[in-house]
Amino acid sequence: MKHKIGVYICHCGGNISDYVDVKRVAEEMAKIEGVEISVDTIFACADSSQKQIANDIKEKGIDGIVVASCSPKLHYPTFSSVAEHAGLNKYNYVHANIREQCSWAHSDNKPKATEKAIQIVKAAIARVKESEALETIEVDSQKIIAVIGAGVAGMRAADELADLGIKVYLIEREFFVGGRIAQLDYLCSTTETGKELVTRLYEKIMDNPNITLFTGAEVIEKKGSIGNFNLKVKITPRYIKNKCKKDELLKAIEVCPVEVLDEFNFGITKRKAIYKNFPSEYPQIPTIDSKNCTRCGECEKVCSSIDFSQKEEVLDLSVGSILVATGFDPYTPKENEFGWGIDNVVTLPQFRRIINMCDDKLVYNGKKIKHIAYIYCVGSRQVDGENKYCSRYCCTATLYTSILTKNKYKDVQSYHFTRGIRTYGKQEIVYDKSSRQGDIFLQSYEDEPPMIEQKKGKTIVKINDILTNKMELEVEADLVVLVTGIEPRKDTNISEVLKIPKGRDKFYNEIHMKLRPVETVIDGVTIAGACQGPKNIMESMNSALSAAAKSYSIVNKGKLNLPPIIAVVNKETCTWCNKCLDACPYDAISKISENGKDIAFVNESVCKGCGMCLPVCESDSLELLGYTNHEIENMIKALVD
Amino acid sequence: MPENNKTIEYDALIIGGGIAGGEAALNLANVGYKVLIVEKDLSIGGKMILLSKVFPTLDCSACITTPKVSEIMRHPNITVFTSTQASNIIKKDDGTFEATITKQPRYVIAEDCTGCQLCEQACPVSVDDQFQYNLVGRKAAYIPFSIASPRIAAIDIANCTLCGACERACPTKCIDFTQTVETYSLKAKTVIIATGFQLFDPTLIPRYGYGKFKNVITAMQMERQLAPTRPFNTILRPSDGKMPDNIAYILCTGSRDKTVGNPICSQVCCMYSTKQAQLLMGALPMADITLYYLNIRAFGKGFNEFYAQAQAMGVQFTKGKVAKITEKENGNLLLRYEDINGGGVVKETEHDMVVLSVGILPNQGIAELFSNDELVLDPYNYIGQSDFLASPAQTSIKGVFVAGVASGPMDIPDSILSAGSASSDAANYIRHLNKKTVSV
Ligand SMILES: Cc1cc2nc3c(=O)[nH]c(=O)nc-3n(C[C@H](O)[C@H](O)[C@H](O)COP(=O)(O)OP(=O)(O)OC[C@H]3O[C@@H](n4cnc5c(N)ncnc54)[C@H](O)[C@@H]3O)c2cc1C
Ligand SMILES: Cc1cc2nc3c(=O)[nH]c(=O)nc-3n(C[C@H](O)[C@H](O)[C@H](O)COP(=O)(O)OP(=O)(O)OC[C@H]3O[C@@H](n4cnc5c(N)ncnc54)[C@H](O)[C@@H]3O)c2cc1C
Ligand code: SF4
Ligand code: SF4
Repeated sequence: MKHKIGVYICHCGGNISDYVDVKRVAEEMAKIEGVEISVDTIFACADSSQKQIANDIKEKGIDGIVVASCSPKLHYPTFSSVAEHAGLNKYNYVHANIREQCSWAHSDNKPKATEKAIQIVKAAIARVKESEALETIEVDSQKIIAVIGAGVAGMRAADELADLGIKVYLIEREFFVGGRIAQLDYLCSTTETGKELVTRLYEKIMDNPNITLFTGAEVIEKKGSIGNFNLKVKITPRYIKNKCKKDELLKAIEVCPVEVLDEFNFGITKRKAIYKNFPSEYPQIPTIDSKNCTRCGECEKVCSSIDFSQKEEVLDLSVGSILVATGFDPYTPKENEFGWGIDNVVTLPQFRRIINMCDDKLVYNGKKIKHIAYIYCVGSRQVDGENKYCSRYCCTATLYTSILTKNKYKDVQSYHFTRGIRTYGKQEIVYDKSSRQGDIFLQSYEDEPPMIEQKKGKTIVKINDILTNKMELEVEADLVVLVTGIEPRKDTNISEVLKIPKGRDKFYNEIHMKLRPVETVIDGVTIAGACQGPKNIMESMNSALSAAAKSYSIVNKGKLNLPPIIAVVNKETCTWCNKCLDACPYDAISKISENGKDIAFVNESVCKGCGMCLPVCESDSLELLGYTNHEIENMIKALVD
Repeated sequence: MPENNKTIEYDALIIGGGIAGGEAALNLANVGYKVLIVEKDLSIGGKMILLSKVFPTLDCSACITTPKVSEIMRHPNITVFTSTQASNIIKKDDGTFEATITKQPRYVIAEDCTGCQLCEQACPVSVDDQFQYNLVGRKAAYIPFSIASPRIAAIDIANCTLCGACERACPTKCIDFTQTVETYSLKAKTVIIATGFQLFDPTLIPRYGYGKFKNVITAMQMERQLAPTRPFNTILRPSDGKMPDNIAYILCTGSRDKTVGNPICSQVCCMYSTKQAQLLMGALPMADITLYYLNIRAFGKGFNEFYAQAQAMGVQFTKGKVAKITEKENGNLLLRYEDINGGGVVKETEHDMVVLSVGILPNQGIAELFSNDELVLDPYNYIGQSDFLASPAQTSIKGVFVAGVASGPMDIPDSILSAGSASSDAANYIRHLNKKTVSV
C-alpha cells in the first residue's frame, strides 16, 4: 500500500483548464488519505515540471505518482521514464486522462467536467495505492532475421542487415531474384538499368557470408513471437544440380518439348518447362517448372545436371524478427476494359518487355508501331471498382517509357489519355521532357473515360477532351498501352501465415501511417517496399532500409525487454478447464502438470497482456499484473464511496 | 556553463532537428550510438510541430509530434543543442569528421527556467511572432510556442531594449545578459543532413499581391490558424477580422514554374491544401472553399481517397491557372483565371480570402558547411543523392547522409522513411569505421 503519493494535475495550456477547474481538482485530491503532494501545473510534460516530479520522488520520498493530463498514448512513456530516472518503479505511476476523456468531451458543461475529472483522478489514486513494483521480462532474442521476398527491397534490406553483422535468411518464392525490377530494363532518372541494379544487389548478397538465400521457398507456418519466431519454410526443388554444366543446360532447354506462356514477359512470348527468364539471370541456374513438366525425360538425355530425385524439403528456421518485402502484382485488366482483348491493346509492363525485345524497329504482332495511345489509371483511381487509390509510379513510368520509345525508334508519336498527370516532386522534369519531345496530352472527364473500339480493322481511341475545350477527339492507334496500376499480391498465403493486417486498399497496414510506416501490429514483423503500398525504387529502398533499422533494433542486443503486464495463473485454484486456451489470441497458454495436477501455464514472452483469458476463467484463477483484481476493486470502491 | 571551445565527441552529428533529423537520431540512439542534434532554431520539431492536422489521416500534428520530441529530449544517448549551427566540417583521412559547433546565447539559464512566462508578461517590446508566421505579435522575452521543446524562455536580443523588466519579473533569476556565444570542437564518425526546407516567398509573384493585399495569406499562415495552438481560436481574415465565407486556394504558387526558378513540383501542397479545405469545412461550416489547381497530386497511400473525400464534402476543385488577383475596396479579391474544365474561358471570381499554396525550396548554404570535400547538390539545389536507387541517403561525401526534405520535396511519411534509410546507412558506416573495414 502506497502512502506517500504525488498527484500532478495538468492545465495542458488551457486544453484542460479552460473547462476543468484544475486547481479545485488538485485541492480535492490533497484531502485523500495517502496523498502527500497534490499540485497543478501548466504543462506537466514541460522539462521544468518533469524536473519537479523527479525532485519530489527523490527528496520527499514519494512512493507512487498520478499524472492527470492528456491521453496516455502521448505521454505515458514520458512520465514512466521520469519515475524510472528518479528511482521509482515505473509501474507505481498511474496515468489519468482528463483531456480526451474529460475536458474535450465535456467542453459544454464546465462544472460537470470538473466533477468528472475529480472522479477520474480519485480512481487513479486508488489504483496507484495498490500498485506493485514490476520488473520488465527479459527474453533472449535470436540475432537472425528472416527477409521474405528477394525483390529490390528485400535484397537491399538483407544486404544492409548482413552488413550490420546480423545473420539473414532471404526467402524468395520464385526461382530467381530481383522481383519486378528484373523485368525492367531502363529505369527512370538514372543510367543504371534494372538488370544492373539487380546484379549489383545480388553480387553483394552472394559476397556476404551472413546471408543464406533460399529460392523456390515459401513460409508455410509461423509460431512464437518477437525475438523467437519459428518458421517452417517449404523448399521446392529446382531439379538441377548446383554445380551444373552450362552448355548442356542450354541443350536441355532446346530439347524440352513443353511450351507455356512466359509470365516473365507477361504472356507475350512462350518458354519451355525448363527455363531461365533471361540469359544473365540470378541465380544463374535454370529451373524445371514441375507444374508443366511432363517428365518425358528429354532433357535428362542431353544434360547430366538434371536431377529428378531432388525432393521437396521443409526447413525449420528460428529468427528474432521477420521483414516482409513481397512486393506487388501489376493490375490485369478485365475483359473489354479499355479494349482489353483487342490484339493491339497491351499493358504497360507488357509494352516494356516489347521495347526490350525490339531492337531497331518497334514491331508488335508483325506490325510496325508508329502511333501509340497510352490510357492512364487503368485499375487505379477507380470510381466504380475497388481500387480507389492512385498507383503512384505509373504517370512517371509511362512518360519515361514514352521518352525511351522516342529515343530508341525516333518515328513514334505518343498520345497520353490522362486523368491529370501526377509527376510529383522532381519527376515533374520527366513530364516537361515528354511535352517538349512533342507528345500530345489529352484529359478525360472523370465520368467520361476514353473509349477504345475497332473500326474496319483499325483501333480508335475516342475522348471528350478537357484540355481542348471539350472537343470530341479520335486517335487511330497502332498500339494501345493500358497504364495498369499496382495491386497487392493476389496470393495471400504469406499474410495469412503471418497474420499481417491489411488496409482498405488491401496493401499491408503499418501501425501508424505517419510515424511508424514500417512496423506492423504483429510485434517483430516489419514491412518494406511495394507490399505496403505503391512505391518507386527509391521509395522502396528507403522503406527497406527503415524496416531493416527497426528489425535490427529488435535483435541487435540479443536480449529483449518485454513489458511485465501479463496474465499469471493461481496454481492453487486452477482446475484446467481449458477455457483460457481457446480465448488467448496469441497461443500463450498451454497445459502443464505440477504436483500431479493439470494447470494452465502462461508463456511470458508470448503473452501480450490483452486480458482475453480473464473473463472466461471458471475458477477466477487468472490475474493481469498491473491490473489486478485488487487494484480494479479499489478503483471501483473509490468511485462509489 | 560549459567552457568555451571544449572538445566534444559523438558518434553522429545530425544537422537539423525537424521530424527527419529527430527520427534519424532516435534510430541511432536506440541501437546505442551517441548522437548530437544541432538545431538552428529555439526549438526542435521543425515545421511539423507547427502544423494543424496532417493528411491523410487528419491526426493532430502537435499531438503526434510532442511525444516524439519528448522522447528525443529525454533519450540518454541524444544531446540537443538549440540555437546552434555546425560549420567548417572536415573529413579526416581515417573517415571521421571534425566540425565547429557554434551555439548562440539564449540569455536565459536553461536549467533554471520553469517556463512560467512571467518574463513574457513583463516585457514591453512587441514584435512579429515568427512561429505564428507573423499573424500576431510576441514579446522580446518569450517562450517560442506553447509546445516548444525545450519549453523555456529566450531573449530576442536584436529587439530587446535591455530595460531589465524580465530580470525583475523572473522568479528563478534565470535571465542572464552576460551569456556569450559558445563554441565547441566536435569529433564525430558520421554526419546526417536533415535541414529541411524553406517556403517559397510569394512576394516574388507580384500579380498575386501577397504583402500588398491583406487578405492574401500563405498556407503556412492558414496552417497556424487551424492548429490547436492557434492564435485566434477561429479563422479570421487579416483586413477586418471577419470570418471568411468564400476562400480560394491557389495551388502551385512558386512551384512548377520556371519563371521563378523552381521547375519541380513541391509534392505536398496539393494534399495540404485539400486537408486545409476539409478542416475549414469543419471550422466554418457555411464557407465555400475553392482550390484552383493544375493537376491534383494525390499519389500517396490514402491520398486519392482523401481527395475524393474532400470532393464529397463539397470542396470545389477548379482546374485553371490564376493569372492575376485584384483587391476590391472591401478587401475582397477578384481572381482572373482560365477555367479549363469549363471550356477554357477566362473568368473572374470574387473571394473574401485567398490562400497561396506556396511551394517548398531547399535551405541554402548547406554545401558551404563542408570545408575539404565537396557536397554535391542536385540541379534544384537539394542535397544530391549519389546512389539514389540503392542507397538514397548517400551523398557525394562518404559518411555524410541526407534525410527528409533536404534531399527533395516529401511529406511526413516519406521523411520518416528517408530518415530510417539515413540512420541505417549511418549505423553501417560507424560500424565499419569502428572495425576499420570502411573505404573512405
Ligand atoms: C512497368 C513498370 C515500370 C516501372 N518503372 C520504374 C522506374 O523506372 N523507376 C522506379 O523507381 N520504379 C519503377 N517501377 C516500380 C518498381 O517496380 C517497384 O518500386 C519495385 O519493384 C518494388 O520492389 P519490391 O521489392 O517492393 O517488390 P517486387 O519487385 O514485387 O519484389 C517482391 C519479391 O517478393 C517475392 N515474393 C512475393 N510473395 C512472396 C512470398 N509469399 N514468399 C516469398 N517471396 C515472395 C516476389 O517473387 C518478388 O521477387 C515500375 C513498375 C512497373 C510495373
Ligand atoms: C503548409 C504545409 C503543410 C503541410 N502539411 C503536411 C501534412 O498535413 N502531412 C504531411 O505528411 N506533410 C505535410 N507537410 C510537409 C511536412 O512539413 C514535411 O514533410 C516535414 O516537415 C519535413 O520534415 P524535415 O525534418 O525534413 O524538415 P523541417 O521540418 O524543415 O525541419 C528541418 C529542421 O532543420 C533546421 N535547420 C535548417 N537548416 C539548419 C542548419 N543549417 N543548421 C541547423 N539546423 C538547421 C530547421 O530549423 C528545422 O528545424 C506540410 C508542409 C507545409 C509547408
Ligand atoms: S500515377 Fe498517374 S497513371 Fe498511375 S494511377 Fe496515379 S494518376 Fe493514374
Ligand atoms: S503538389 Fe500540387 S500544388 Fe504543389 S507543386 Fe505539385 S502540383 Fe502544384
